[in-house]
Amino acid sequence: MSRRVAGKGRKRMKRNRNSPFPAIYLGLVLLLTYLPLLLVMLYSFNAGRLSSVWEGFSLSWYRELFRDRSIFEALRNSVVLALASSLAAAVIGTLGAVGMARTRYRTNGIIEYLSTLPIMIPEIILGMVFLAFFSLIGLPFGMTSLIIGHTIFCIPYVFTMVKARLAGMDPSYVEAAKDLGAGELRAFWDITFPLLRPAIVSGMLISFAMSMDDVIISMFLTDVNVNTLPIKIYTQLKTGVTPKTNALCALMFAFTLVLGLLSLWISQNGKAAIAAGNGDRGEKEQRL
Amino acid sequence: MKGRTGLRGRAAALALLPIYFTALVFVVGPLAYMLALSFLSRAETWGVELTFTVRNYLGILAPVYLQTFRQSLRLAFLCTTLIALIGYPFGYFMARLPQKWRRILSFFLVIPIWTSSLMRLYGWIIIFRAGGVLDSLLMKTGVVQQSLKLLYTYPAVVTGMVYVLLPFMIYSVYASAEKMDWNLVEAARDLGAGKMQAFFTITFRLTMPGLLSGVVLTFIPSMGLFFVADILGGNKVVLVGSVIQEQLMKAHNWPFAAAFSVVLMILTSLLIYLYRRITKVRDLEGLV
Amino acid sequence: MRKLLSGLLACALLLGALAGCQSGGASSSKSGGQLNLYTWEGMFPPEVLEGFESETGIKINYSNYDFGETMLTKLQTAGGGEYDLVIADDYIVESVIAADLAQKLDKSKLPNFGNINPVYQGQFFDPADEYTVPYGAGVQTIVYNPETVAKPITGYADLWDPDFKDKIGMIANYRVINGMALKVLGESYNTGDLDKIQAAGDKLTELAPNVRLIKDDNLQDDLISGEIDVAIMYTSQVTLAKLSKPELEMVFPVEGIGFGVMPAFIPSKAPNAEAAYRFLEYLLRPEIGAQCFEWLGYYSTNGAADEHIAEEFQDFLTLPADFGGDTEMIENIGADAQDLHAKIWTEFKTACGQ
Repeated sequence: MSRRVAGKGRKRMKRNRNSPFPAIYLGLVLLLTYLPLLLVMLYSFNAGRLSSVWEGFSLSWYRELFRDRSIFEALRNSVVLALASSLAAAVIGTLGAVGMARTRYRTNGIIEYLSTLPIMIPEIILGMVFLAFFSLIGLPFGMTSLIIGHTIFCIPYVFTMVKARLAGMDPSYVEAAKDLGAGELRAFWDITFPLLRPAIVSGMLISFAMSMDDVIISMFLTDVNVNTLPIKIYTQLKTGVTPKTNALCALMFAFTLVLGLLSLWISQNGKAAIAAGNGDRGEKEQRL
Repeated sequence: MKGRTGLRGRAAALALLPIYFTALVFVVGPLAYMLALSFLSRAETWGVELTFTVRNYLGILAPVYLQTFRQSLRLAFLCTTLIALIGYPFGYFMARLPQKWRRILSFFLVIPIWTSSLMRLYGWIIIFRAGGVLDSLLMKTGVVQQSLKLLYTYPAVVTGMVYVLLPFMIYSVYASAEKMDWNLVEAARDLGAGKMQAFFTITFRLTMPGLLSGVVLTFIPSMGLFFVADILGGNKVVLVGSVIQEQLMKAHNWPFAAAFSVVLMILTSLLIYLYRRITKVRDLEGLV
Repeated sequence: MRKLLSGLLACALLLGALAGCQSGGASSSKSGGQLNLYTWEGMFPPEVLEGFESETGIKINYSNYDFGETMLTKLQTAGGGEYDLVIADDYIVESVIAADLAQKLDKSKLPNFGNINPVYQGQFFDPADEYTVPYGAGVQTIVYNPETVAKPITGYADLWDPDFKDKIGMIANYRVINGMALKVLGESYNTGDLDKIQAAGDKLTELAPNVRLIKDDNLQDDLISGEIDVAIMYTSQVTLAKLSKPELEMVFPVEGIGFGVMPAFIPSKAPNAEAAYRFLEYLLRPEIGAQCFEWLGYYSTNGAADEHIAEEFQDFLTLPADFGGDTEMIENIGADAQDLHAKIWTEFKTACGQ
């Protein structure tokens, strides 16, 4: 089965290569996605205190940034929070979507609806009711409450994407695995999970971004010891956003870019080695 | 319908536990609190009084508040349509790339959204402002003679909204298109279907769940992302989210804000439900 | 995909670890107690915070909120504990004191209390100066670009001139903006008379064609880039604008001058009240005060600091000699008046978009 698919895949790609339109389109949209970010980064070198009117070149905002140790503390908190909540949302959302596809409980529909509600309620009111509810049930504020709150609003992203991927999925792989004697969990782990992976990863990437950008809910659920990066960025109400924040964005961008490229390069090389040893196995995995 | 996702009976029920728990505790709890709040009275300056009233719901019927619902809906429809038009082809083309390029693209797509959305919107201010990037470009090339004054207009708000929410659509469509069985398209073509016909009878139908989840994930937030309207629209497009925020943070009328949120939630749920019915995606989901 | 993800996760963890080392090193170096400071981000120059930490050995734990309302909600949930020193807007501090969430100051611990400029004392939020130390004040002014505005502006009423079509920018604070219309009609900011508030709303709607933008963030950028010619903005924004473009004109409106104060208070159950006193006392030193206000860009509430403020800042950080005419602060008003203000504000914004 998979060999046939792989063969067809190559044919398809050949047909696709004829038109340059997809490549141009992808490039153009990607460029537009980066343009504002690049401009923001450019203004981090602004000599003046304004973040969008150019007044000359300077590195002073980077000096200012590195002096502010609390920014790095906030950055660490944000990363830990985003990692923990996107992971938790991935586990809960994926299990939920798979479980619902497999059971016929009458309550599934209502739970699915309830789980997506948090993104229908404006953040500000969600933050306030979370605060009231968490203090009612005696949950201490700080990293734990933050992770719970963020997980709740990240679940819908993972759930929705995994559910869309499950819809219309070819069931024969799982059945084949079972015919070959694989147990429940084995079949899930070896067959279903790899099939769902692109959706889970997409949902996690979005969740990570949502968590990294949330300010309102975080502000209500945190305590004195945990400040997050968005809180620092969005609460400069009295003095205005300075190019220091631009510098921070530029630094984060550069950091993710370098480390991301590194991991891409490593995985690419790993793939190349496997492909060299095993013919077109990479291609097969892709088709699954 | 059995055995298709690899989890059966008790295992599937166990998989559902976490999502039932989070939905029933951390969504229902705060939600009940919000509902209760919407029927209480505001205190003279700060807080709420425990007297039942429906005055908050009646207050929403004031023409100016109904107008904000109309404006929000109009903007959300427009933005969701544009996002689908731009994001669907992107996700589709991305899914057709060789695996190496898919990975690289999905990586480059996520980097910008991991930095603050506020700062990325500032990037658009630099582009749109009088004498900014776009103005000088158009004036140098002789397309226009005068500044377009694009900043703080409706198109600027739409651009910002599309920009912020586009990745949600792309990742949803991609996650759905990536698993598509291209053999079906090939078969249709072999049987004499034209390119367009094959696309609409096969590809579009099979990627519908992805498009649907993308629409849900972009339509809902676009009702509430008022800070885009503030930053790029100069507050002249008044969205429901903005009214709720001001009622909470400036007028101190929590019950009214809660009532507003309840109405918004019901309205959004209703629209999503109708949308699901019209697009008949349930047929596809039945396959799972 | 999996490798990409695990790669990114590894990167993120590495980033977290790196940041952890940096902050861990900084925070464990001193052990003289802790001060939980709760206010907006960027209220103090870094050297002032560092100076305090190295002088006292007290570690400052700086956490932030956006609106005073968020702060009050958090403070209420914490029962007046958790935070040691809070700086907020005047009207919300009145609510804090009314809710018994602030403690009376022990003036014997604040020998520099007398440095405070008396203009900002005895105000509505703390009539007997029992609870608060003001930290900066804002004065409501109009700023315009004389290169593009031919007629000089003297007061709020001038803004209704049709010549200013699509040229005005203003902050998104409805008590200030609605209050401006009230002032033009000769009323008080704080009137509870619903008819008068409605009249101000109608007056404001006539201003809509002149309004190009309403927003709180970085309004000064728009004035400097020429997006708008006239602005009603926060004092710190005025300071930034004047520093970048000194030729801008600043007007104290003839209708009267409104001002706001940012008072600092110690919550009722502050865990480290002693540290809070030491920090307040530190801020009240003239040289430290001057450093703070130059950084912050708000009017100096520390009278003794005025002479230490650099020449270039003197004009807009210290009160003009003739200040005092008709001044009024924006105070809390009743529920019905609040609701009406919110409503006419939404109507005004909608009218601006038409």
